[in-house]
Amino acid sequence: MFDKKKATTFICAFLGTVITWYIQHEMGYSAIIANGIVGVLAGILLTAPLAGATYTASFVGMSGIAVLPSIGAAALAGAVVGIVIILTAEIYAGIGGKGGTTAAFSVQVSRFIMSIFG
Amino acid sequence: MDNLAIIITAILAGIATYTISVKLEKGAVFGSAIVVLLSGLFLPHFFEMGTTLAVMATTSSYAGMVAAKNVPNLKEMAAVGFIAGVLFILVEVPFAGVGGKLGTIAAISCLGWIGLKKALVMVLAKKETQQESTVSYMK
Repeated sequence: MFDKKKATTFICAFLGTVITWYIQHEMGYSAIIANGIVGVLAGILLTAPLAGATYTASFVGMSGIAVLPSIGAAALAGAVVGIVIILTAEIYAGIGGKGGTTAAFSVQVSRFIMSIFG
Repeated sequence: MDNLAIIITAILAGIATYTISVKLEKGAVFGSAIVVLLSGLFLPHFFEMGTTLAVMATTSSYAGMVAAKNVPNLKEMAAVGFIAGVLFILVEVPFAGVGGKLGTIAAISCLGWIGLKKALVMVLAKKETQQESTVSYMK
């Protein structure tokens, strides 16, 4: 039942979002630089599918403080994008911008969840 | 002038990402991320509208992650970059602050170009069929 590949994808996505959010909002770098750093490291250190998941999740971490106001919110969004990436791995593969669209959807889902719990 | 700079940046960033990703075989993530990182680090320091150009380069680099089977050469990548630049200019003000705008512009640019190519192939195939039927009728 336990799928190691999916679990690793989820962890990478979660970390991609949280680290990008942290570099941007705690360390004070711009969203573009935070995304670039996470993407370059993922591209060098991880396999192609895991790097893709991490980079996609990093787009979520680029969200402004008004959208993801705390690291807890970033963690929630990271978990959501991890699940969305696992569920949509085969859809529109190879279309540039799929990752950003996935990230946008995940952010909206996270905002909806956060609005329910106040 | 600003719009021209945006479109040139869009084309160059798309081509740079595609070259690193496909031609140099470094992978789409590394190809995009290195363009994003360098544009974020340098463009705001060298140009007055550098921040806007960095955002444009980021958008176009996402489009440059497209697979080689969908966009097989640099000329087509330049066309995708051009579409991304035009869309960026058009939606910059109406959708300011909407999360996921950049990735969505990139996706629309790629899908738009792929759709345009398919439409052109269909039109050309139809013309050829018409010409063939006219020639056979004349005979």
